[in-house]
This record gives sequence, C-alpha cells and structure tokens, in this order.
Amino acid sequence: MLKHSKSKHSKKIHSSIDSPRKRLFLFILGGWLLLILSNQVGEFSLYQGAFVATYAVGIASIILLTGYSGQLSLGHGALMAVGAYAGALTINSLQWHPVVALIMATLVAGLFGLLLGGAVARFSGPYLAGTTLALAIALPSLANQFPILGGEQGLAFDVGASPARFGDDFSPYKWFFWIATLAALIIIWFVANIAASRFGRTFRAMRDNPIAAQLCGVNVARQKVTAFAISSGVAGLSGGLLVMLITGVSPSVFPLSLSLLLLSGAVVTGLYNLKGVILGGLVLVAIPEIAESLVTRIGGSENVANSLPGFLVSALLILAVMFTPNGPEHIFKRKH
Amino acid sequence: MIRNTRTKRAVIASALITAGAMVLSTIPAQAAETTGVTATTIKLGISSPKSGAAGTAYKKVPGAMKAYFDYINANGGVNGRKITLVSHDDGYNVKRAATQTTKLVLNDQVFAIVGALGTATHRNAYKAANLAKNNVPSLFVNSGFSGFANKALYPTTFAGLPSYPMEAKVMAKFIKDNPVLAPQASFLIAQDDEFGVDGIAGFKEAGHKFSDNPILYPQGGLSSTIAEGALAKLAAAPGKPVLVLFGTTDTTATLLKAAEKLSLTTKFTFLAGSVGADATTLLALGVKATTVDGVITASFFPDAKDATDEYVKQFTAINTKYNKGVPFDNTVLQGMNSAMLTVQALRAAGKNLTRTGLMNAIDTKGSTFASAGLAPLNFSATSRVGYNGYWLGQLNAKGELKPFGGKLTLYTTDSTSGPVTASTFVRKSIPKNGIPNN
Repeated sequence: MLKHSKSKHSKKIHSSIDSPRKRLFLFILGGWLLLILSNQVGEFSLYQGAFVATYAVGIASIILLTGYSGQLSLGHGALMAVGAYAGALTINSLQWHPVVALIMATLVAGLFGLLLGGAVARFSGPYLAGTTLALAIALPSLANQFPILGGEQGLAFDVGASPARFGDDFSPYKWFFWIATLAALIIIWFVANIAASRFGRTFRAMRDNPIAAQLCGVNVARQKVTAFAISSGVAGLSGGLLVMLITGVSPSVFPLSLSLLLLSGAVVTGLYNLKGVILGGLVLVAIPEIAESLVTRIGGSENVANSLPGFLVSALLILAVMFTPNGPEHIFKRKH
Repeated sequence: MIRNTRTKRAVIASALITAGAMVLSTIPAQAAETTGVTATTIKLGISSPKSGAAGTAYKKVPGAMKAYFDYINANGGVNGRKITLVSHDDGYNVKRAATQTTKLVLNDQVFAIVGALGTATHRNAYKAANLAKNNVPSLFVNSGFSGFANKALYPTTFAGLPSYPMEAKVMAKFIKDNPVLAPQASFLIAQDDEFGVDGIAGFKEAGHKFSDNPILYPQGGLSSTIAEGALAKLAAAPGKPVLVLFGTTDTTATLLKAAEKLSLTTKFTFLAGSVGADATTLLALGVKATTVDGVITASFFPDAKDATDEYVKQFTAINTKYNKGVPFDNTVLQGMNSAMLTVQALRAAGKNLTRTGLMNAIDTKGSTFASAGLAPLNFSATSRVGYNGYWLGQLNAKGELKPFGGKLTLYTTDSTSGPVTASTFVRKSIPKNGIPNN
C-alpha cells in the first residue's frame, strides 16, 4: 500500500517535471508540421495561415489577461497598435532588422502595458473595461497628432525580401507564414508556460477570489499589473505581425471592432483555455470569407453585406456561450 | 514508446496532417505572363468598397464594369475571349484591400486588376499583393494620387483619373479668375491621406492661400460631429466663403447635411472635388435638392444626366440591359468608361495576350483610346496618369451638372509646376455601338 502510494507520488512529481519538456516537444513538433505544410499548400493559404497565426497571438493575449487573470479589456486593438507603430519605427527610423522590430513591438507594447497597468490596477470589472475601451477609441486618433507616426497615412512596415539563400523564387507569403507562425509558436509556448507556472497559479487565484488570494499573501495589484504588461506585450507582437502582413500601419487598421473581434474570438475559443487559439484565429479569418461568399451567392443587399460578418460573429458568440462556455475542447473530452 | 495518451493522440494527429499535406498538390503554376488567360476567357479582378460609408457611394463601380464586359462578351468578346470580372468588397479599408487584392492575385488567379478604388487602399494592396514583383497590371485605378505615376514604385499601375494636384491647380485657377469668388475667404476640408495631401500640394503649387489651415479628417470618413464643428467655426468668416471639399461623395453628403442642420447652406459657396460630387449619390444619401443646387464641382467627364452626350447615351442603354435596376449616374459612367478602356487595352495587346504586352499597349497606344472623358488621355511611355484636365460646372436641383457660366471650358495642366491652360481638345467619337474597334 505504502509502496503503491509512493510510486503514485513519484509519478506525479515526474509528470510535473516532464510537463514543460512535453510542451516544448509538442510545440517543436507543431512547428515541424507547419514547415512541411508550408511547402505543400498554395500561396494564398499561406497568407491566410499567417493571419490565423497573428490572430491566435492576439487571442492568446486576451486569454492570458481575461481568462487567467480575470481582467476584462475591450481595448486590446490599441495595444496592438502600440506594438505595430513601435515595430514600424524600428524598421523605418532605426533601419533595424524586421525580427528586431517584432521584438521591439512586443517590448514597447509590454512597457506601455506596464505603465497603463500601473494606472488602472486599482480598477476592476466594468471600470477597467471602460478605461481600455476609451483607450481603443482614443489611441488611433492620438497617432494622428504626432507627425513621426505618419498621421492618417501611417507608416510602411516592410520586412523586405526573404533572405537571399532561399532563392529569388521564394514566395514572400511563405516568408510571412514562417515569421508569423514561428512568432506565434514561441509566444503561445511562453504564455502556456506562464499559465503553468507560479505566475499562472497566482493569476488564477486572483481571478477566482482576489480577497482570498490577498489573504494568502498575493500582492493582487502587482500581479494585475504583471498580467496586464505581459498581455500587452503579446498583443503588441500580434499588432506587429498584422501590419507586416498588410505592409503598413495606420490608425484605420486598428478600429474598435478589432478589439471586440479578438475578444469574441477568445470567447469562442474558450476563455480559460489556451489550446483553442488556433481555432479562434481560424474563425476570425474564415468569417469575413464566409460572409462575402454568402452575400455573393444570395445577392444580398448592402445592409446584409454590411451586417452579415457582425451577425455571424454574434451568433457564434451566443452559441459558444450557450453550448461550449469552456471552449470547444470539452465537447471532445470523454465524460466520466 | 509513447505512454501518455494525449501525446500519442497528438503524434497520430500530426502524422495524419503530414500525410494529408503530402497528398495535397500545389496549384499547377501557369506562366505568370498569361495567368488568368485561356483560349476563350480573360479573368480580371477588382477590389473596391461595396459596404461601409464609401460603399454607399461607390458600390456601383464593379457592377457597371461587369455590365459593359457582359455587353462586349455578348458581341464576341475580345479576340474571341470572354471577359469575367471577379469582384471583392474591401469596404475602403486598407487591411481588407490588402487581403482582397492578394486573394485576387493568388487565389482567383486574375490576369489583371482593373478599376481598384481608393488611394490608401490601393497603396497598401499594391505592396501586400506584390503586384510589382508578380508583374500584375493594375489598370485604371480610381484614384488621382500623383504618386501612382511613379513607375519605380508602381511599375504596373495605370491611374484612371487625372491627378489630384491637377484638379487642385484647376480649382485654384477657377477661384482666382472668378471675380465673385476671388475676394472671398477660402477654406479646405480634405481627407487626411495621400488623397488630401496631394490636393493640398496642388493648391500650394498654384500659389493659392487658404484663409486657415486645412481641416483634415480620417480616411475612414468624416463624422457629422467634426463636420458641424468645422462649419460652425468657419461660419464666423465674413461674406460668403468658398469651402473646398477634397473628399469622397459620402463625406460631401455628411458636410452638406451638417450645413443643412446648422442652416448654413447659403453661407458658403461649396466647391467639391470631382471624386466627391456625384449628385445622384448625394440626393440618395439624403442631401436636399435645394442644397445640391449651386454646388460647384470639377469634372473631366460629361454629366451622367446629359442624354445628348453620345457616350452617356450608349452607356445608359448598356446599363439598362445589363445592369438592371441600377440608376445611371457618374459612378456607373466611370465604371463603364474604365471597362471600355480595358477592352481597348486588351485589343491593343493583340491575340497573344501577356501582362507585359498589355502594359506596353497602354504605354504606346493608350492616349489614342476612345473615352467618355472630355479631357485628353495622358498615357505614354513616361506618364501613367489617366487624364490631364478638368472643367468646372455647377449642379442644379435636379442633380444635373451644367458648365459654370454657361460655357464649358476645359483646362489642362500637369501634376507639377506646369501652367493651367484653356484647351480646345475634342475627344474621339464613340466607336459604333460602343464596341471598340481599335
């Protein structure tokens, strides 16, 4: 009996030690598969795949903030914009390598999140949501006030040609896909590790009962700021990737609807579950395509064309909340 | 051996995906020069706003082009090939324009892009879709941004309009030469992107000084709040100031409705750019006929309501048959004219159609194409700007555009420091039944 118990205990410890390695193995495996996939599919699929990866990063930032740390942000598009502008300035003004630009996008947005988080840490619930919402509305307009940000015309975000060793015929979309998916894999792996670490446990404790967490010695305000800063950095990377794909950053790329769309994607994915972010990214890329194809087929009026994407997202959101509140994954789980 | 069930599942799923990916074959590469062309078809594509505020004003463009192509197809096509037009909605949004244009090139495999609409949208789309590297022609872009004429940056773009600096220079001359308008204060409300900035540069080039700094509004559209605030401020100026609008028709509508709300319609002389003054759209967007009456605008086309114009007459007939239920207006006229230019370009490129051949044909023969435009076509080995002139007219309550002062005077100029001069240009007659025979 004692022997059995000991063996079970050691297995549990072994499993917890093994878990990050297993995660790393799965991410490397995923990367390898995507690399193979990138040589097999057409250029447009690669371009769409890069968008899926970009949105997946954006959704991961929301899941970290809202799902794990319990803070609601309606303005993540603004944080994406911060990252996007930081990246563009790194390329245009400092002439640094695009990869450095994406790292800068992450760091600057993270720093911005840290400062913002410091200011809004005492807010919670609707107040924090309201503050971030105001940010999402105001930030793009603020970009117009500073000539260095290029006003309404914005700035170019050109990652340039792919490295010469890949040859002249190497598709730029494959290059986009590689950059976006590699960035997504690294950052989602990073977020998954955070969620599984002491930080993650603290975040969840804070989310479920802030007072109890505080009684256990958790500095709730500091942890909230930490979560906000990390989430902002991840959102910044997503912003950098997004403008890389459309080769330029301007305020109109980050409308309020983008923030709400990402939040919807996170809810559809399962707010407490990082595993579905790719699905969330797929949904965000697929919905406009489905809407356009439907409008073309049924010959809908202008009002239908305008409203259909929003309607589809809303319908999906309602269905997700009703039937898969914890994400689609639990449908496939065995019932015990 | 993998003991963990989840890992095992992941590995099996991965193996299946890999196998699936291996089976998937890539689309067979067609020679890039003839992508989208078969022995019997030519596939063209357009990304333009069909939804959103700008969509309200410009959604008719792709339909009008398709109607003209259908008419040509019904009459034998171009060198035996039928034209198909793939149209995607970009909502006048730079991100969607980039993805939709990329989709046209990579997914729909079009031969060329035709009639893309918007400055900022096309600028981003051009780079994102790699039109230069893929050597995809972008014909008759509905933008007057002078930068599109830069062959080094946009080697495959051909503008479908005169440039915005040309328009601004002609407007500046019009104000200067008009004894009633010249002494009045003048203000500018412009779209805050290359569109507006290009216009501002044109006014500067012409030496015109506005009474205050230009009021710039976001590319996404002018809100009624900004419009009302701007009008209330500008109304403090004495006399009857000239208010120049350098934006899209939906923003002109917003501004005119704001003037109605503030009872300022008679306070200003409204001078709208050619892009922003389609009377049918203004009326459809709820601007009162009495407000539209008197708006001055520049144009390089005949008025879409002028049934005596041979091009308008022919295009109206085609519109009635192939674009059922859509009223004929300036937007439809613009779409059909672009389609007609496209057909002539395709014919000029000959039977062995290639992308390079098509672009060379416009460079060498584009200035001789038949066109509804009252200004000369401006294509040459060194110019990619569609037209090079404007005339000034005034809208009446019926939405008709009549030459200002009763006599149509065409002014031609260039995008830089060249003079603005009155022109005696007479356009080519429309080919028989509107079917090009070049």
